[in-house]
Amino acid sequence: MAIPPIAALEIGSSRTVMCVGEADDSGRVKITGVGTYPTLGVRKGQVVELPQVKAGVEAAARQAEKLADVSIWQVLLAASGGHIQSVANEASQLIRSSDHVVTREDVEEVTENAKDVQIEADRQVLHTITQTFTVDDQPGIAKPEGMRCKRLALNIMAVHGLKNRIDNLVGVAKGAQLEVTDVAFSGICAALAVLTPEQKSNGVVLIDLGGGTTNYIAYCNNVITAVGCLAVGGDHVTNDIALAFNIPQTRAEELKRSEGSAMVDAESGGRRVPLPADIGFEERVISCRALHTVINARMHETFGVIRTKLDEAGALPHLGSGVVLTGGGAYLRKVTDLAQRVFGVPCRLGLPVNVDGLDGVEQPAALATAAGLVLYGRITYEDRGLFSPVKNILKGLFGR
Amino acid sequence: MKQEDQSGLLLLGVGGGGCRLAAAVKAAYGGGLRALGVDTDALSNRGAAAGGMTCLLLGGSRLAGHGTGGDAIQGRLAAQDDMENLTAHLEGVRTVVVTACLGGGTGGGATPEIVKRLHDMGLATVCFVTRPFGFEGDARLKAAERVLPMVEENADSMVVVPLDDLFGDAGGELLTDAIEKAEGLLAGGVTLLWRLLTKPGFIRLDPERLHAMVMKGGNARFGFGAAAGAGRAGQAVAALRAGRVLRSGDALAKANALMLGILAGPDLRLAEVGEVMQAVRDVCKRDCHVEMGTVLDPQFEGRLELVALAFESWTAALLPAEAAKGGTSSAEPPVAEAFPIQPGSRKGRGKSGSKLSFGATGRGKFQNVEPTIYKGEDLDVPTFMRRGITLER
Repeated sequence: MAIPPIAALEIGSSRTVMCVGEADDSGRVKITGVGTYPTLGVRKGQVVELPQVKAGVEAAARQAEKLADVSIWQVLLAASGGHIQSVANEASQLIRSSDHVVTREDVEEVTENAKDVQIEADRQVLHTITQTFTVDDQPGIAKPEGMRCKRLALNIMAVHGLKNRIDNLVGVAKGAQLEVTDVAFSGICAALAVLTPEQKSNGVVLIDLGGGTTNYIAYCNNVITAVGCLAVGGDHVTNDIALAFNIPQTRAEELKRSEGSAMVDAESGGRRVPLPADIGFEERVISCRALHTVINARMHETFGVIRTKLDEAGALPHLGSGVVLTGGGAYLRKVTDLAQRVFGVPCRLGLPVNVDGLDGVEQPAALATAAGLVLYGRITYEDRGLFSPVKNILKGLFGR
Repeated sequence: MKQEDQSGLLLLGVGGGGCRLAAAVKAAYGGGLRALGVDTDALSNRGAAAGGMTCLLLGGSRLAGHGTGGDAIQGRLAAQDDMENLTAHLEGVRTVVVTACLGGGTGGGATPEIVKRLHDMGLATVCFVTRPFGFEGDARLKAAERVLPMVEENADSMVVVPLDDLFGDAGGELLTDAIEKAEGLLAGGVTLLWRLLTKPGFIRLDPERLHAMVMKGGNARFGFGAAAGAGRAGQAVAALRAGRVLRSGDALAKANALMLGILAGPDLRLAEVGEVMQAVRDVCKRDCHVEMGTVLDPQFEGRLELVALAFESWTAALLPAEAAKGGTSSAEPPVAEAFPIQPGSRKGRGKSGSKLSFGATGRGKFQNVEPTIYKGEDLDVPTFMRRGITLER
C-alpha cells in the first residue's frame, strides 16, 4: 500500500524542525526534506509566546515544502516537556473457555482493559505501550496467543501529559494552517530513529539531550521499562555559562559550541579563551577550566537525576548495550565520557540509523526526534485512519 | 547504646588531615567517642581505621581510592557521590564536630559539601579547620582561604586554627615533629572539649550550652593550657594566655564571650577554680560573658587543663535573657528576640548576605518560567551556584 509523504513537526526549545519523509515498500523511510528555523518563544519544551513560535513553524514548513517538493497541510507533532510522565498499569482476566487456550479476543480484551488508565482529568494519554503478558505465574511473555492458562495479565505503560500544554502546541500548528493528525512523545520518536533491535533486546537507555528538555527511554528485552522527561536541557548549560561569566546568552551559546566540554580534565587546564568586545561588553578572557567546570556540574547533575530515575524504575541493572546519547546536546565534547562515568556502562553517540536520507546533514543526531516522528507516522499509518486525530493507540508496536 | 552515643555528638574527620586529627582525639579520649573519618584516599583511610575509627571512603567509584591529588573539585564531587552513605552514619546525631585540614583536595573540597549537607539536615556543626603551614606554600594557603567562606556559610561555628600559630618557636624542630606536635596540640584541645561535654563534673558544660553558645557566637578562637603540681591554676592560665592560637591573650581580651572548661583530678580545690576564673576575668573585657564548666577525672590527679573558646563576634543582645532586659545593641529585629532560635533549627540564623553574591535568584533566562523542582532543588538555577563551586578566574 502506497503511503503518502509524511510530515513531522518538532517544536523544540532551540529550533523548530519540519521533516518530510516517504516510505518505500520495504517499510524504510527516506527523509526527503528538512526545514529548520530557530525557535523563539519556547522554554523547556513549552510555548510561552505563541506568535513567535508560529512564525518559526511557518518558516520551517516552507523550507521543507520546497526541498521535498510537497505541500504540507497535515503534520504529526512531537511533544516534550517536564509535564510528561509515565505510569504503569496492569489488567488481568480469566480465560473462561473450556480448553483454557488464549484466543486473539482474550488478548484484545485484556489490552483494552489495561489501556483504561486512571489519570487526572487535565491530562491526556499520548501512548499506551504494551510491555509483557503474564500467563498464570509465568511473566515476560510477548505473545500469549495459543498458550494454555487460567489467568492472563498484561502490563502496559502509559505516557501522558498535560492537556493544555499539548493543546498549545497543536494550536500553534493550527495557527500555521497545519492540521495535527497525531501527537507523540519526543523521546519515543528518537528511540524509533536511533535504537537498533539488538540494543533494545540487550537493554539500553537512550538519552535525548534537547535544548529545553532531556528525554530518556530505557529498553530491556525489547520492552520499554522506563520513559520520562526532565525539563533541563542544553539551554540550561548555556544559561549557566551566561550567568557564570556574566555574558549574553548568544555569546554563551557560541562559547559552549566552540570551547565547551563536559569533562574537566588535563585539556581544560591553563587554557584561556578570549571573548572579543561587543556593544556594551568589554573584551575579556575567561578560563577554559572554569567553563568546563560549569558545564560539567550541570551535565553531571542531569545524568545523575536520570540515573536516579532509572534506578527507581529498576532499569539500571539491565543495560547490556549501554547508554546512547542523541539530540543536539550529544555533540557536546566529551559528553559520552561523562555519561560513561555516571552510568558505569559504555556510552556512544546515537545517529538516526533507522531512517535514510540524512547522510549529508550536519549533526544528524539533532534530527533524531523529527526523523523518528516520520517513522512513527509510517508505523501508525494504518491505525490512524479513522480514529480521532490526536489520541492514538499503539497496538503493541513496542512490545515485540 | 553507649552513653556517649546518646549525647548526640559526632566527631567527623574529613580528609587525610582531618581523619588523623579525629583519630588522635579518639586515641586520647579513649573508648566511647563516636567518631567517623571520611577520606578519598583508601590508604590513609586504612590507617585511621586501624585506630578503631569508623571510616568511609569517598568517591570510590570516581577516584578508585587514590585520593584527589589536591584537586578540590574532585574532592567535592567525591563527597557528592557518597553523601548518602555518609548520612546513613548520622543516625541519632545532633551536633557534629568537624575536623578538617584545609588546603588539600578532600579537606578543601569535601568539607564545604559535607557541612552544607549537615546544615540542610538541621544538625549543628562546629568546624575545627586548620589553615596550612606557611611553608606549605601560597597555593595551599590560597586554596584554604577560598574554601573558608564556603565552610563558614553553613557551619554554625567555625574555629580556624592557623597551624603556624600552634608554635611559639618552631624553628629548630623537625618537620615531622612539627606536624605531629601541631596535630597533638589541636587534638588535645578537641579532646578536652569533648571530655567537658560528655564527662560532666560538678559544674556542667553540657552539649546544649555549647550548642547555644556556638549558635550565637559565630566564629571562635580556640586555646588551651595545661599545668601540673603546686600553683597549677596560675600556670595553666599563664599557658593559656601565652598560646599563640589565642594571639598571646589578645583574643581573650577582645572576646565578647568565653567558654572555659577546667579539667582536673578530684583534688581540684575551690580556691583553684576561683584563681583560674579571677585570672581569666582579669584578662577579659569587663562585660565578657563567661560560661564555665569543670570535669573531674581521676586520671588528671595533680594536673589541671584549661580549654577556652573565645567568641569575638558574640553579642549579648542575642541572648533571650539579655534581650528581655532591653539590650540596645540588638542586631536582630524584635521578632527574632521573641522567638529565640532553637538548637537544631538554624534556618533563621541571620547572616548578613551570602558569601556567594548570586544566591537563589540566578535563574537568568528561566526567570519567568515554571521552575523545574527536583528533590527540593530548583534545577533552573545553575548547578555550580547551588553546589557552591568556585570558578577559576
